[in-house]
Amino acid sequence: MNNAAFNNASLFHAPTVQEADHHGHPKTDPKICRLGTIVFLCSEALLFSGLISAYLVVRAAGGFSNWPPNFHDGIELPAMPRLLTGINTVILVSSSFVYHAAESAVKKGKSGSSLILLAAMLGATFVGIQCVEWTNLYREGLWFNKGGVYGSSFFTLTGFHGAHVCIGVLLILWCFYLQVTRRTFTPQRHVALENVGLYWHFVDVVWVFLYVILYWL
Amino acid sequence: MSATTVDASIGMDVHDGHGSHGHGKKGLMHYIWNTDHKVIAMQFLWTSIIYLVLGGSMAIAMRWQLAWPGHPIPILGHLLPSTVVSEDGALIPGGYNMLVTMHGTILVFFVAMPVLIGVFGNFLIPLKIGAGDMAFPALNELSYWLFSISGLIMIATFFAPGGAPGTGWTAYAPLSSHGPYNGTSLGQTLWCVSLFVNGLSSLTGAVNYITTVITMRAPGMTMFRMPLPVWAIFITAILLIFAIPVLSAAAALIIFDLNFGTSFYRPAGGGQPLLWQHLFWFFGHPEVYILVLPAMGFTSEILAVFSRKPVFGYKAMVYAMSVIGFLGFIVWGHHMYVSGMQLWLSAAFGVSTMVIAVPSAIKTFNWMGTIWRGSIHYTVPMAFAVAFVSMFVIGGLSGIFMASTPVDLFVHHTYFIVAHFHYVIFGAIVFSVFAAIYFWYPKMSGRMWNETLGWIHFWMSFVFFNLTFFPMHNLGLAGMMRRISDPTVYDCLKQVQPLNVICTIGAIGLGLSTIPFLINMFWSLKYGPKAPANPWNSTTLEWTLENPIQHGNFPVTPTIYHGPYEYSIPGMEKDFLPQNEKAPDHIKLEAH
Repeated sequence: MNNAAFNNASLFHAPTVQEADHHGHPKTDPKICRLGTIVFLCSEALLFSGLISAYLVVRAAGGFSNWPPNFHDGIELPAMPRLLTGINTVILVSSSFVYHAAESAVKKGKSGSSLILLAAMLGATFVGIQCVEWTNLYREGLWFNKGGVYGSSFFTLTGFHGAHVCIGVLLILWCFYLQVTRRTFTPQRHVALENVGLYWHFVDVVWVFLYVILYWL
Repeated sequence: MSATTVDASIGMDVHDGHGSHGHGKKGLMHYIWNTDHKVIAMQFLWTSIIYLVLGGSMAIAMRWQLAWPGHPIPILGHLLPSTVVSEDGALIPGGYNMLVTMHGTILVFFVAMPVLIGVFGNFLIPLKIGAGDMAFPALNELSYWLFSISGLIMIATFFAPGGAPGTGWTAYAPLSSHGPYNGTSLGQTLWCVSLFVNGLSSLTGAVNYITTVITMRAPGMTMFRMPLPVWAIFITAILLIFAIPVLSAAAALIIFDLNFGTSFYRPAGGGQPLLWQHLFWFFGHPEVYILVLPAMGFTSEILAVFSRKPVFGYKAMVYAMSVIGFLGFIVWGHHMYVSGMQLWLSAAFGVSTMVIAVPSAIKTFNWMGTIWRGSIHYTVPMAFAVAFVSMFVIGGLSGIFMASTPVDLFVHHTYFIVAHFHYVIFGAIVFSVFAAIYFWYPKMSGRMWNETLGWIHFWMSFVFFNLTFFPMHNLGLAGMMRRISDPTVYDCLKQVQPLNVICTIGAIGLGLSTIPFLINMFWSLKYGPKAPANPWNSTTLEWTLENPIQHGNFPVTPTIYHGPYEYSIPGMEKDFLPQNEKAPDHIKLEAH
């Protein structure tokens, strides 16, 4: 390969050295996988932007500060549990840091599996607390179809995000399984671990936005 | 290559020479799960041709009703379900609305997008940048299957209780979001689910295209040496990533409103019907550019090849497409002037819309510059490419004055918009698709098409297209409203009824014009003369490969030495210089 011409062309170019999988097929380069994940996460970001801007448009139409509406259909609408969810937010964000620590451990040649499991458990705790909160709000008269657009938007937005967290927890558990049974991730190659990590950090960042917008705005 | 068999129906290798893991499957599995980008392109092509026939037939049924309201439709009337036609085979008003909706939805999401992006994106990107396949081949095949499934869900809406949705392809709330209004809660829900799944298909495709273009270019293929179709699809893929998720979110909210009792579009619960229009058009306007940018890319290349000249202003073309892509996201409000909007806001949207005329004019100017004093070869793809430019100018110009609010208020709900829209979508985009199909058919199938049939197809479609859609400008200015199933009930429209008949005759002719096209495509697959590797003496990489192209495309990774359109270089005997051939020492090429 003409190396000079190659470097000249490699504005974003990934190296073409490829390892082979157990079928003898070339494995996709980690940089290519990472780029693919980032592009996918851009579209996810726009999905949440669409939902959040829908919420803001609805809020703005009813007078921004008139929120939550006190009564709807004769039901007194409950306020958002800011404290409990605040603690929950800390839990979710800390799981991102734990996951990052797990990745660093793997890069240093350690197993990192206990840290991966801890990150998954923190994520699962977040889902659990969120479920408790959903139940409480439901008891107080708020649901997808109760409490007007206040209930609709709260449950839809947190629901979309909750589904993403659940998928994330399953993906992390899958990484944990791979690492414990096969020691898949090595300092040289840890593609799945890295990309699940990108997704997980993304889901956490979205939550910080949702927490501020849904609970405090 | 003794172990290689050629599959005549798609014209490329079934066997890949390295085992049977995934690509080398024989028989049915070859078509069901095949990760070769060239096979996936053909899967998209065949599937969308089925939808083209479906969506086109719906248009003819609608035109029949508008010309001769209440008269039974020959042949088609007996094929449509009872929710659409009466017993004797005439359209009923609700059925007309269903056809309006399904015609628009099917042709935009199941014909235009898959053909422009699914077929040519898949086929051209790896071949033109010198890659063996897409970055994620399995994801690519998944994209096709998601597309297929979404199509079946869309067709299933016809069989929902209450029939298909009659809310138009724009599905404005609260008509779409309130079951008692649209009368087919399940049909509308399925419509939304179908678009959601279709969106996933587009997104997986877009992730692939962007990643492939950025990371898998052959040595020497800098960004500014990429052929324009690749640039166009690359920019389109970025638009998809930003636009599609917003439609998915909006459609999900309609599903929730219809089925879970949420209040997003319901004013009684504090919701906002107008919210749908904002979300839909935030997707919907970039969608127009998602369709037109690839068409522009194909045209640029075809004009250069058949004029034997470099594309005039290559970099300006790239910048213009990027600017169009960006501006496409800040003009959605011009679809909503009549929906109730602050005047200053509509003025702002009007200005940003008119600004799009600047990059569009740059492109039109460059197309003319490309063929100016060229050695023009009159072939069928060239004719369609020139037709693209002329029809795009007509459709684009009417777009500019609709950007002005006072004009739009007058014409918005009329056939003027229908005429404008179809000049862009059919006159420009579909003509460019025909140009592209004729141009790349020898490489896709390994065969040449019949030229006589090609010319019959061109002249029929060009004449009947204009006969169908030009009078719609007049109909619109005469006040004919959109989405009415019977213009004769309005006294004011009685005098323009003959124009409606002319449009319908044109539409029937336009439908018939696809017959020579389809015959040509299918007949040539089997009986057409074998195509040489480079029938058009073109410079880009796909033409350097022998037919049929192997799995993995390039036996040796090519090295690229210069830009994509080196035609008629002074001092050279050959009038073209392929991208992987070094220019002789005494020849000095211009930039890139």
